[in-house]
Amino acid sequence: MRANATLLLIAPTVGLLVGFLVIPYLNMVVMSFRTPSTSQVFAPGYTFANYLKAIFDPDFYYLRVLRDTMALGVTTTAICLVLGYPVAYHLARTPSRFKSILYAFILSPLLVGVVVRCYGWMIILGNNDGLINNILRDLGLIQTPIQLMYNTFGVSVGLVHIFLPFMILPILGAIQSIDPALEEAAQSLGATRLKTIFRVVFPLSLPGVQAGSVLVFVLTISAYVTPILLGGFKVVIMPTLVIQQLLDAMLWPFGAALAFILSFSGAVVVYLYFMATSWFMKGIR
Amino acid sequence: MARLAVKDLSKRFGEVVAVDGIDLEIEERELVSLLGPSGCGKTTTLRCIAGFETPTAGRILFDGADILGLPPEARNIGMVFQNYALFPHMTVTQNLAFGLEMRRVPKAEMAARIARVLETVQLEGYGERYPRQLSGGQQQRIALGRALVIEPRVLLLDEPLANLDAKLREEMRFFVRSLQKRVGITTVYVTHDQAEAMVISDRIAVMFQGGIHQIGTPTEIYMRPVSREVANFIGLSNFIEARVRGRDEGGAYVLESALGEIRSAHLDSLREGEAVTLIVRPEAIVLLKDKPDRVGANAISGRVKERYFLGNITGYRIACAGDAVLQVQGEPWAAFAIGDPIWCRFDADKTWIIGD
Repeated sequence: MRANATLLLIAPTVGLLVGFLVIPYLNMVVMSFRTPSTSQVFAPGYTFANYLKAIFDPDFYYLRVLRDTMALGVTTTAICLVLGYPVAYHLARTPSRFKSILYAFILSPLLVGVVVRCYGWMIILGNNDGLINNILRDLGLIQTPIQLMYNTFGVSVGLVHIFLPFMILPILGAIQSIDPALEEAAQSLGATRLKTIFRVVFPLSLPGVQAGSVLVFVLTISAYVTPILLGGFKVVIMPTLVIQQLLDAMLWPFGAALAFILSFSGAVVVYLYFMATSWFMKGIR
Repeated sequence: MARLAVKDLSKRFGEVVAVDGIDLEIEERELVSLLGPSGCGKTTTLRCIAGFETPTAGRILFDGADILGLPPEARNIGMVFQNYALFPHMTVTQNLAFGLEMRRVPKAEMAARIARVLETVQLEGYGERYPRQLSGGQQQRIALGRALVIEPRVLLLDEPLANLDAKLREEMRFFVRSLQKRVGITTVYVTHDQAEAMVISDRIAVMFQGGIHQIGTPTEIYMRPVSREVANFIGLSNFIEARVRGRDEGGAYVLESALGEIRSAHLDSLREGEAVTLIVRPEAIVLLKDKPDRVGANAISGRVKERYFLGNITGYRIACAGDAVLQVQGEPWAAFAIGDPIWCRFDADKTWIIGD
């Protein structure tokens, strides 16, 4: 009787996931094996040609783009971790009244739509007329403008800005569940605040770090709008190529193959990450 | 080992005064308990000594030097927490090594000290276990070992045995005391359990509402409490309101009370006509069927109101004149039934008087 009630409760969500996630995903995988065609979405028959093209041709181009995408994912995650951890720690441990204001600041990037956000950054980072370039030029520190946009730097700034909350909030939750007495114990034994954070708080907050890192990583490697607006077509990453193949070239099978390669590679990286960090998490359960 | 002095220490949290100007001097190698009910300020005081709270006023001195400017990690203290606070992601050995690593003790010496401490707390061979694999008592012993292995100047314990079950708590009391004596470390022990404080302390500081009411040896606190609260908190007490009538030939004070005439061999001087409170402990009262005729002893008549069996003693509540109820401890096998008329006898020198 109870089992039936549980099934009934989760049925809608499972239905949603299966209908709108699993089935389309499988459909995409099937699509990636179909024969491409220029006159219609796909031609009859199945083939491995899409994958062979994606991997080898021309000159391993797509693999290099994949590498750049993964690299962007890793660097964005790393920057978010370095910037986000101190914020999460402070928010978790501070007794100040400004907590809610800080919360609001952290969530603010999510309140604005992606296009508006990117335009905001374009105003600041603009290569010829941007705020930063203007200030530096007026101060006489530079003669020629610095390239802050339409490159990996600009894209990274935009991505870190939007994904920082996704790193901060899981870490915040993890730190809040750590008994403050543990930090006091470490201090009573002679550890400074900083040593306490490195030796006691950080290891115990690893589950939160893991969750935040994976979240930021998968969001980064599938980001589309931000890299296009802030990177122009100078920064080429997999999501851009996938959309190109699907919408511009109308080569659905090939686009599907690229999409599957992207998601598979992402899954591999996440898996390796979990393997590596689980080794550190032996004592915590 | 350090002498610890607390001078006029106060701590407020906004409107609330947690600690209200307390003075305390602890000698080297001495174990002093801070004893009191929840909210009396004993834990706040301990945390001020440790450095986790900053006092609003007052000074704290280790060997005469003011330590208030130092953060906790620089005070060279060892602290044991109520929930042990063992690092869950480290083995027992790593937990013990933590403080030594912070002091940059060379590896060989570290290993030797850890081995010695494991032997001291009787947990040899447990080095590779994780805290979650240890029982409560074992965790507490490791917590104790971790605080001692760094050889601090002062040991601070915050209700360390509160999370253990009753039997284990009793055993651990003796363990903690003998360990403290052996190492000879100056210790401050916070507890709300008066039996615990009596067993382990050289001296007890009884605290209520942010202040120390009395500091003394367990015997002094029990036999000669200075206030009603102290007498009430330590053991059971009978309080009898009385007025001083005079002294008799033997030098004992004669007092007039609702229960009749009472003699007390109280030492301090009392004025005639003074209103006082007389304290008699339940175990000092003997129950008799017939009126006692011992010279110099007090005899109060009453009726058995309640009786309860505690195993090693039987407790009685005796209804006496004027709504007064005397609590008495009797032998477990004595048979006084409820409703029986009874005589309570207690000697004059088993009483204690506190002024009102």
